[in-house]
Amino acid sequence: MNVIYDVIDDFNEEYSDYHLEKTPNTILFGPGRQLDSLGFVNLIVAVEERLCDETGQSLTLADEKAMSRQNSPFRTIATLSEYIQSRLEEQS
Amino acid sequence: MMIDFLLNNFERYKKEDAVVWRDKVYSYEWLLNRVRHYQTEIQTRNIAPGDVVVLEADFSPNAIAVLLALIDHRSIVVPLTKTVISKKAEFFSIAKPEYVLAVDSDDQISLSRLPYDPEYPFYNVLREKKHPGLVLFSSGSTGESKAVVHDFVSILNKYKKPRKSLRAVTFLLYDHIGGINTLFYLLANGGCVITVQDRNPDTVLSTIERYRVELLPTSPTFLNLILLSEAYQNFDLSSLKRITYGTEPMPESTLKRLHAVFPDVDILQTYGLSEVGILSSKSKSSDSLWMKVGGEGFQTRIVDGILHIKAESSMLGYLNAPSPFTEDGWFNTEDAVEQDGEYIRILGRTSELINVGGQKVYPAEVESVIQQMENVVEVSVFGENNPITGQIVCARVTPRVEQEEKEFIKGIKKYCRSHMESFKVPVKVLLTRDKQYSARFKKQRLTSTSHS
Repeated sequence: MNVIYDVIDDFNEEYSDYHLEKTPNTILFGPGRQLDSLGFVNLIVAVEERLCDETGQSLTLADEKAMSRQNSPFRTIATLSEYIQSRLEEQS
Repeated sequence: MMIDFLLNNFERYKKEDAVVWRDKVYSYEWLLNRVRHYQTEIQTRNIAPGDVVVLEADFSPNAIAVLLALIDHRSIVVPLTKTVISKKAEFFSIAKPEYVLAVDSDDQISLSRLPYDPEYPFYNVLREKKHPGLVLFSSGSTGESKAVVHDFVSILNKYKKPRKSLRAVTFLLYDHIGGINTLFYLLANGGCVITVQDRNPDTVLSTIERYRVELLPTSPTFLNLILLSEAYQNFDLSSLKRITYGTEPMPESTLKRLHAVFPDVDILQTYGLSEVGILSSKSKSSDSLWMKVGGEGFQTRIVDGILHIKAESSMLGYLNAPSPFTEDGWFNTEDAVEQDGEYIRILGRTSELINVGGQKVYPAEVESVIQQMENVVEVSVFGENNPITGQIVCARVTPRVEQEEKEFIKGIKKYCRSHMESFKVPVKVLLTRDKQYSARFKKQRLTSTSHS
C-alpha cells in the first residue's frame, strides 16, 4: 500500500489535472473514477517501476488476464494493493 | 555503349578532379583509362554479359572504374560494403553471384568464381534485353532483407540531363541507392567524388575543409551529431553550398538549429527508396520540412495519407519477395505524409506508428521535442503493447552528461507535457549509454509492437 501512496504523491505533483486521495477506497478504474485511461496507464506504469526499484522484481500489472477478470483488481487502491501482493507471492 | 554519355564527359573533363581517395587526387583522364583497362580485363577473364557479379567495395578509384566497366559489359552488379559483412552469406544465397570482385583496402582487386548458376525471371529479363542490372538489399528493420533488382539503364537515364557540377563527400554508402545516386550525379556532371575512410564528424568535416567540398549528402542522425559535438566550429566550412538530408524523418528542432548554424547553406531534403530510386525534390526553404517531390519520370499520389509512387526507374521486383506493385505500377511507400497544396511533409513509417487509444503518434514528432532538451544527445521513440490504451509511447534517451536518473526522466516527461498533447507524452522513459544509430547513420528504433 505504501508503494502506491508514494507513487500517488509523485503523481499528484506531476499531473496537476488529477488529485487522487490516499485512501484504500479511492477509485482508480471503472465507474466513479477520476482518472482517464491515459492517467490510469501512467499511474500503473509508475507503480510497476517503483515496485521494480524496491523489490527488484519486474511485474507487468496491466495484462490481458488482469483486465479481463470479473472483479477488476484495479478498481480501488485496496484491490490494487491486494493484487500486487498476490502477484509478488506468485513470483517468489 | 551503356556508359558512352559518361565516358564522353570524362573525355571533356579530363584535366578535372574525378576522385579524391586517401589524400590523392585522380583526374577524369585517369578514370577514363582505368575504365578502359577493366573493360579489357573483364573480357579476358571470360565474365559473360548477364553474369551476376558481387562487387565487394567502398568508394575508391578502382571500385568506381570497375563498376562502370561492369555496367558497360551488361553485368548484373551486386555492390556490397563492409557494413553488411554479417549478412554476406545470406546475401550471397539470395543473389547467387557467379563472380565476386573484391576491392581491398589498398584498392587492389581480386576475382573469384562461385558455383552458383542463378536462374531468376528478373535476371532473365535483363539478359534478354541485354541490359546491365543492379541488385541492392533493402535495409528492412525486420525479417529477411529484400533483394531489389533494377535495370541499370533506367537508373542511368536520370543522369543524362546536365546538372550543376559539384564537389561532394560520398557519405551515403556504395551499396545504397543514395550512394549510387551521389556517384552518378557527380560523374555525369564532371563533379568530384570525395571519399572518406570513416564517417566520424571530425573526419567528414576536415575532408570538407581540405577539399573544398560543396555538397554534403547525409542523414538527420549525422547532422544531429555534428550539431551536438559542435565539431563544425573547428573547421573552415565556407566551401559548403548545399546539405541534403534523407533516409529518415528530420526532427524539426534539428533542422532549425542546423539552419541557424549554416545560414548561407541550402539545406534540402531528398526522398527516395531502393525500390523506386531517388525522386527530384525541392524543399520549401532551408528550415522547412515541407517539400515538393516528383520530377521527370515520377508520379505521386496520396492514398489514405500514405504516399504512393509510380516511377520509370522503379525496380523490376524483388528476388525473394512478391511484387509490391499494384497492377498499374504504383508502389506503396508506407510513408505517412501530410499535404499542403503541392507540398508534402513526411510524418514517418506506418510500421513505426504508435496507436494510443486510437490516436496516432509518429515517433519523429515526439523525438523532435525531446531532442530540444539541453542534456539529450539522442532519442528514439517506439510503442509498447498495453491492454488499456492498445499501445503506449516509450522513449529511449542517451544523455549528454550523467545526471540523477529519476530527476532527468521526470524533467523529460514534464517538458513533453508542456510541448505536446498528453497522449503523445512518453509513459516510459528509459536511459541508455549506447549509440542508437546504424552504420548508415540511421536511427534504430525498437520496433513498435502492435496490438491486433
